[in-house]
Amino acid sequence: MKPSSRLFALLLGMICVAPAFADETCVSPYMKRLSTQEDFMYIWTLGVIGMGDEQDKLVTTDVRPGSKTFGKMINSVSVGGRNEAHHSGYTDDRRFLWAGGLDSSNIFIFDVHTDPAKPTLVNTITDFVATSGGVVGPHSFYALPGRMLITGLSNNQDHGGRSGMVEYSNEGEYLATHWMPTDDNLNGAVKTGKLADGYGYDVRALPRLNVMLTSSFTGWNNYMMNLGKLMGDGEAMKRFGNTVAVWDLHTKKPLKIFDVPGAPLEIRCAWNEKHDYCLTATALTSEIWLIHRDKAGEWQAQAVATIGDPKKIPLPVDMSIAADDSRLWVNTWNDGMTRLFDISDPFKPKQIYEKNIGAQVNMVSQSWDGKRVYFTSSLLASWDKTEGPEGDLQFFKAYNWDGKALKPAFKMNFVKEKLGRPHQMTLNARSMYAQSALDAPTPEVATTAK
Amino acid sequence: MRRRARRYWVRALLPAVLGFLITPRALAHESPAPATTLSASSPGSYALPPIRQAPDGKVLDETRQPLSLRDLFGQKLVVLSFIYTHCADGKGCPMASMTLAQTAKRLAARAELASQLRFISVSFDPARDTPEVLADYARHFRPKGFDWRFVAGAPADLRPLLDGYRQDLQREGGELAHSLRVFLIDPEGRIRNEYTSGFLDSKLLGADIETLLLAPSASTSASPAAGTGSGDPRVGYDSSAYASQSRALGARRPEALDLRARLKAGEAGLPALRGPLPTSAQIALGRRLFFDRRLSHNNTLSCGSCHVPEQGFTSNELATPVGIEGRTVRRNAPTLLNVGLLPRLFVDNRESRLEQQIWAPLLAFNEMGNPSIGYVLEKITGLKDYAGHFEAAFDGKPASMETLGAALAAYERSLIAGDSPFDRWRAGRPEPDFSPAAERGFALFSGKAACSSCHTLNAHDALFTDHDLHNTGVGYAQAMQTPPPRAPVTLAPGTRVPVLARDRAVDLLQNTQDLGRYEVTQQPADRWRFRTPSLRNVALTAPYMHDGSLPDLAAVIDFYNAGGIANEALDPRLKPLGLSAAERADLVSLLQALTGHSVPALVRDAWAAPIGDRQRGPPLNTSPVARASPIIPLP
Repeated sequence: MKPSSRLFALLLGMICVAPAFADETCVSPYMKRLSTQEDFMYIWTLGVIGMGDEQDKLVTTDVRPGSKTFGKMINSVSVGGRNEAHHSGYTDDRRFLWAGGLDSSNIFIFDVHTDPAKPTLVNTITDFVATSGGVVGPHSFYALPGRMLITGLSNNQDHGGRSGMVEYSNEGEYLATHWMPTDDNLNGAVKTGKLADGYGYDVRALPRLNVMLTSSFTGWNNYMMNLGKLMGDGEAMKRFGNTVAVWDLHTKKPLKIFDVPGAPLEIRCAWNEKHDYCLTATALTSEIWLIHRDKAGEWQAQAVATIGDPKKIPLPVDMSIAADDSRLWVNTWNDGMTRLFDISDPFKPKQIYEKNIGAQVNMVSQSWDGKRVYFTSSLLASWDKTEGPEGDLQFFKAYNWDGKALKPAFKMNFVKEKLGRPHQMTLNARSMYAQSALDAPTPEVATTAK
Repeated sequence: MRRRARRYWVRALLPAVLGFLITPRALAHESPAPATTLSASSPGSYALPPIRQAPDGKVLDETRQPLSLRDLFGQKLVVLSFIYTHCADGKGCPMASMTLAQTAKRLAARAELASQLRFISVSFDPARDTPEVLADYARHFRPKGFDWRFVAGAPADLRPLLDGYRQDLQREGGELAHSLRVFLIDPEGRIRNEYTSGFLDSKLLGADIETLLLAPSASTSASPAAGTGSGDPRVGYDSSAYASQSRALGARRPEALDLRARLKAGEAGLPALRGPLPTSAQIALGRRLFFDRRLSHNNTLSCGSCHVPEQGFTSNELATPVGIEGRTVRRNAPTLLNVGLLPRLFVDNRESRLEQQIWAPLLAFNEMGNPSIGYVLEKITGLKDYAGHFEAAFDGKPASMETLGAALAAYERSLIAGDSPFDRWRAGRPEPDFSPAAERGFALFSGKAACSSCHTLNAHDALFTDHDLHNTGVGYAQAMQTPPPRAPVTLAPGTRVPVLARDRAVDLLQNTQDLGRYEVTQQPADRWRFRTPSLRNVALTAPYMHDGSLPDLAAVIDFYNAGGIANEALDPRLKPLGLSAAERADLVSLLQALTGHSVPALVRDAWAAPIGDRQRGPPLNTSPVARASPIIPLP
């Protein structure tokens, strides 16, 4: 085929290409996605005084059905210290997993591509606070091309909630700090309501619209404090975030700030290219909020549902959106429940299923096809419950979802295993690291080349 | 003729295909793209910090001769893409090349930009992509006269080249598969942006190019100068009408003072400092140490973390501080303003000198958590930014238990703040800030309310404390009374819900009771006795009482107006006062007039100190052997 003919065929082919969206459902769209059966779950785990080696670790669990070690820990990497292990995220090429500590602000970088069954710690960023200009508490690790965008929760001036986002290169070099907009420096953003707190928490992007969204939690003082003490401290309880900001993704400039009272946490954006919206849930006021672009192209925010009984403070935490945008898993930490909402109409989410997972439940991750759903228990070292039924306090549990109910697959008791408190989960598989074409040229190509 | 016809078809189809790929929203909704879509980025309105050095590698030029990629860059702004002409992935090479073509077409018309630009597309399929094939491919994309090179990677050097740019390459069904990667590289050879399939857009790429070539780098907009007080005040938060008044973290405007000169001169209304005057070097060293988070075991807490300068050198945002790893601290952080004038330290008066006192928080398990005195000294000795500082401040002496205490005490002693509106009024100087209400308040203070029986004044100076210990019932209530079963907790502005007592103020892991002076003396008569705090600058130091349980001055006046909380050891001076609402307001006015005029200057001086944070490198102080012994031999 002549080059021109080939190009013509390609152009026609492009028109027929369907967007490949369905995947692990909450990760950066820039990231290499896992669309097959996952092999391993990496669980970023908090060390606990008096338990095992008392330090944070990355626990690898075998999640291959039929494997002899299915549901068992197959590797563990201790990193030293209790850093308030919290969230983690892959680089866009999925070769490295970055895991952060909200207390120490250390960032641990694991090589997960050389042997996905045995991640190794290859670098530790210890100067995040100093180089970022005072951002404390690296939270979300969001892959951008060649870079990591890291949200902060606090600062080194007063340990309150004002913070910023920090960019690093995939090689671990500091690039830039983007401060969250405050009343005295909105940085060009439009304050749509009465609030501009400057707080941070999660970040998610809709690249095709060149926007990203951030939410707002609380500062070091509060997320490190004993929860009962916090609830009894009137001043401290005032220091929670009440905003969601919409940003220009490309320039990292804030565009709009919305009042979303009660600590909006995880942000989950729709995958379908006709769905111009993201969802978040407020931890303290137990509401699902929809951040959407209206017909005039303007971004809007509105509460669209409540989660459980808000007066009982169920404390919604992690959420997971289905790949087809039809369902949303919402965990409520305080009552240990997971709830499934039908979000086919994002303006009217309806709860269609619920199940108690344990004494407390925080994170939820689902496979790309939604058939496997995983849960872990720990929220924050000083907030976690310390009393509860045996095996139900600190766990990693796997379920199969048949469209109607969660059926247990396996569970790991992290207390009994003396591992600590399991927090964020990330899925991985050997299939993500296929052999390079350069290592094994096929005869067909060689023939064609001739 | 046939080839030309085919090209015509291809070119005719290009805009439609590009439109489909790049603006799917517009087609899907049959409406124009709104302003918040990809056109939002204005050139020069943002910065593109260098990400890393662009790797070099070998490529084959149009005569198949090897050439260094860096030489090919030619000190121009380069847009580098990796392609192969057989690529069948609609989101891969064809899209990259067409997006670049669209960008090139627009830039080609702007000579001032085009002359500084070079596009380079490197094929990673050199076997099939011969110079002829690449030349034909180029004709479909390259605008006339535009500097766009199409070259192939050198087969032997493909691996390091692709690894260097993290360009993956797999084989799927006999064909090559890869993810799309395009790089923007500045004339110094540094990658300034990377683009993948969701990120590559002609307008954004054009804006990035223009930002680097024409516009000056974006500067951070200046914040207005900040005053003192929390940068995150939450006044009126319990109401749904609450509006935030947050300040940018960058709004701190440092301004160093001559703290020694201030200390030497003293301040109106304050007693004279006892003991020798510290040197400027000692104060400066102490100030540096005070704001160094590395002084805690895990590098997260400095003295200034709980004694926040703009929050009255205490914390306005917490009833009691949060210690290392979040551990509970029982007592409200006292202000350090005028602490050098106090004869006894801690609310139970258990310590006598600042030089000794500083070791308590450094070593407390639930405060800064250091494992030993030697550990602290060795750690500081190993920090490069302290090299020579102790020796310069203390006649050649290194960091030691003595010199570390002396340095921190020197800075704390320098935090004197008298000269309040009250002092000026009392000295007969004109003072508009001392209102008639405050004057009435002072009459009550010394009269009907009898505050001055514990918050004492001398003839010419006043710290408003007798330095003695008293039982007001606050500690007793916490230990002996049952809290209400439910109490409202604010969850968001205007949203309050009742919360069970067991869910409030319960730290199951730690004893949070506080028996006060009894814990020092073990004498029953000392149960729940706490030191009388100074009232100077009291308006800056909310919340109040030893446990931070009262939110504001009005609540404190109400507490004493009710006579405290009855218990067998209640100080006999406490009894119901019968103050009217107007009288209580007058007392608050007086307390608000005790703030020193120089406090904002002390705050700005504190901001001039660097905040010590951990640098990159191995863990601090892990050597079992001290690198340099800081121990001073005994004589």
